[in-house]
Amino acid sequence: MAFWDALTRRSPDDRRRKLLARTPGGPLRAYLEHPLPDPTTPVDDLRLLAIDVETTGLDPTVHRLLSIGFVPVNGRSIDLSGARRLLIRQGAGPGPGVGESATIHGLTDDQLSVGLTLAEALAITLDALAGRVLLAHYTDMEEGFLGAACERAFGTAPVFSSVDTMHLQYLLLTQGFDDEPPRDALRLWGARQRYGLPVYKAHEALTDALACAELYLALIEEPGTGSSLASLQR
Amino acid sequence: MDIEVREVRDFLATHAPWEYLPSPALDALASELAIRYYRRGTRLYGVGDPNNTVHIVRSGGVDLRDAQEQLVERLGPGGVFGASSVLTQTPSNLSTTAIEDSLVLIVPTPRFLQLVSEHEEFRRFFEATSDARLRRGADRRSQSQTGEVTLGRTVESFLGREPIAAPSTVSIQQAAQIMAEHKVSALLLVDHDRLTGIVTDRDLRSKVVAQARPVDGSVSEVMTPDPITIGPEARAFEVLLDMTSRGFHHLPVVRDGKVLGLVSAGDVMRLDRAHPIYLAADIGRQNSPEGVAEVCRRTPRLVAEYIHSDASAREISRLLGSINESATRRLITLAEQELGPAPAPWAWVVLGSQARLEAGLGSDQDHAIILHDSAADLDAEQRGWWPRLAERVVAGLEASGYPRCDGDVMATTWCHTTQEWQQHFATWLNTPASQEVLYAQIFFDMRAIHGATDLAEHLMEVVTRATPGASRFLAHLATQAVAASPPLGFFKGFVLERGGEHADTLDLKSSSHAIIQIARTHALALGSTETGTEERLRLASASHKIAPDLTEALIDASEFINHLRLTHQADEVSQGRKPNNRIAPKALNALDKRTLKEAFEVISRAQRALSHTYSTHLMS
Repeated sequence: MAFWDALTRRSPDDRRRKLLARTPGGPLRAYLEHPLPDPTTPVDDLRLLAIDVETTGLDPTVHRLLSIGFVPVNGRSIDLSGARRLLIRQGAGPGPGVGESATIHGLTDDQLSVGLTLAEALAITLDALAGRVLLAHYTDMEEGFLGAACERAFGTAPVFSSVDTMHLQYLLLTQGFDDEPPRDALRLWGARQRYGLPVYKAHEALTDALACAELYLALIEEPGTGSSLASLQR
Repeated sequence: MDIEVREVRDFLATHAPWEYLPSPALDALASELAIRYYRRGTRLYGVGDPNNTVHIVRSGGVDLRDAQEQLVERLGPGGVFGASSVLTQTPSNLSTTAIEDSLVLIVPTPRFLQLVSEHEEFRRFFEATSDARLRRGADRRSQSQTGEVTLGRTVESFLGREPIAAPSTVSIQQAAQIMAEHKVSALLLVDHDRLTGIVTDRDLRSKVVAQARPVDGSVSEVMTPDPITIGPEARAFEVLLDMTSRGFHHLPVVRDGKVLGLVSAGDVMRLDRAHPIYLAADIGRQNSPEGVAEVCRRTPRLVAEYIHSDASAREISRLLGSINESATRRLITLAEQELGPAPAPWAWVVLGSQARLEAGLGSDQDHAIILHDSAADLDAEQRGWWPRLAERVVAGLEASGYPRCDGDVMATTWCHTTQEWQQHFATWLNTPASQEVLYAQIFFDMRAIHGATDLAEHLMEVVTRATPGASRFLAHLATQAVAASPPLGFFKGFVLERGGEHADTLDLKSSSHAIIQIARTHALALGSTETGTEERLRLASASHKIAPDLTEALIDASEFINHLRLTHQADEVSQGRKPNNRIAPKALNALDKRTLKEAFEVISRAQRALSHTYSTHLMS
């Protein structure tokens, strides 16, 4: 997608408008009706939604979404009143259950059997994300799974504007150095430790989203971090 | 759909005052907070700045400083700030600065005000007067986990029928007839509404029948005139202590000169049989130092159990004092039986915490001997009677679990005639050097427990007539009382000292010592022979030397610290360790830490006041 953007020199918001024109009514259209935040928006005024997903594996084309957690960030403040954790009911049809992945996220087929349908969960998530920047630690995962799930549920993947805390951390650690930073320093929990953030139990979607949001607050206070949305993005 | 932010809710649920909130209120609160991050060195707001929100430190640390940049508090995770400016709707009188990279939870003000109005325990946490909180802390510490302990009851609550009384002009026989008629073992003698004496079965047996005294004589010949009395608000516990330490079985109860009744040992005994107070009686029945030691060694465990009932620090220390007294008296009596009668009248005095009745578990021996001046004429062999006695008592006490005094303040060394004692005191008072005053302080807390107790009373009356004029001595006392500043509070598992340094453990003895020294300085300046810290403080307050509210706060602080100290010592004992005075902050709960912090503040206030009175900065 980055290749396509470069080729066409179209901004994400241009693509959003184009996509809106051919999207029928429903949750996806409602999401697309909100303009994406302008790249010149100052960090102080930026509205983001920190998102984390728990899945059955790492490949959006094969593995499935089990849970979505999110919490809004307004400027330099996290707003817990918008925090949600959504469990997604898994269809009774063919395909693997939670299986081995339960050892990571702790979600069982029983817990998920009382969850929302994929479409319901996506509708809630898209509603919260409308007009906001998607914030995650390694955004490929969240963008990939949310995109694939939207395709499955609504026929089309949305357009996102995103900020990646792993990328921000990478930029900070490589400023003035040629060496690659150690792997652990880029992981969410390793990065948090650097800023004295509390130790949480990992691999629960809402906790991980909150952990990412807190890391973001710490990162934007670093002198080397940019002051507008564009400077935070790849 | 799940809106619970578990990590935040669990954090609140384990920190005061949020932990006092019922679960639904906590859930609602957790889902309304905002979170902000401050880099190390960031000032959140300054003195005089408006502050409209309550903050909770989630991670990192925040320093609160006053307008003079003096450190007032260092908050770690769980610390709350900003509440007073929100509640009083005034600009902040403190500045707040992140001293580490800090994550801070922000409570929406409408929700905070609602919680304050709806939840009492939560509200109390934010009450403006810290003295009130300190009082509750002191009360709470001594509150029961097992329900009301009977010996905590007041005399009034179990005082029986109207007192049986007669005028002191009745004959011995008439008195005996009245006692027989009412089936009582003691008769109060009251003239013109005033208690003049008491006569008991024992008096009739030993003074009348045994001596074949005529029964038509006046009862006033055999009564105990002007007996010791007790007030109706006294606890059963204190009655027992009085009785066991004096060997009485009856105590008249008097309020404002009016006789309300009579309590007997039996009345109190019936209240509670399983009580460490009976150790004192057990000790008195032992016929060898080994026997005394054996009973005494049961003390720590029994007292440890007792501490966990609703006894106050004051009661526990009085109990420990009475056990120590019983052991000392018994050991003296056993030594006397061995050595024969003393060559001259004398008194055994206890000093320091034993004299103040404020000893803890594991307190060492502090005692001395006062000889009648006639002993000055005795030869060396005769005068050697007392060191021989003292050595036996010291060894016996050591075997009973009272370590020898490090500074050698013991009767084996300190055995002097009244005149010699007066010379020692005169030296301390008139040419004081600060080290000597430090050492000598303990002698100004003196209480006779055996022998010619009037020797000690007389000595201390003479000494305290001189103390008010000994201004250099008093200034030294005051200087020492303010020398050790209490800590500021706690920060992340450490004790936070005033300069911002961190210590691993809190020295509870040092904290209570400051209060003791303040009280002693005031009492000696006033020429009082009083030894108890609480009594000394009340006296200073009545003489306008300490503000009444500060006095009450100091007494509460003392009670709280001493209770904590005794509980800590009891815990050490039950884990098979030697009791000590150093407590690790992790052994304290949040409320204890908070109350301690207030106790430290009260001590600091009293030190500043004392320092002002005595201009201690002029002393080296």
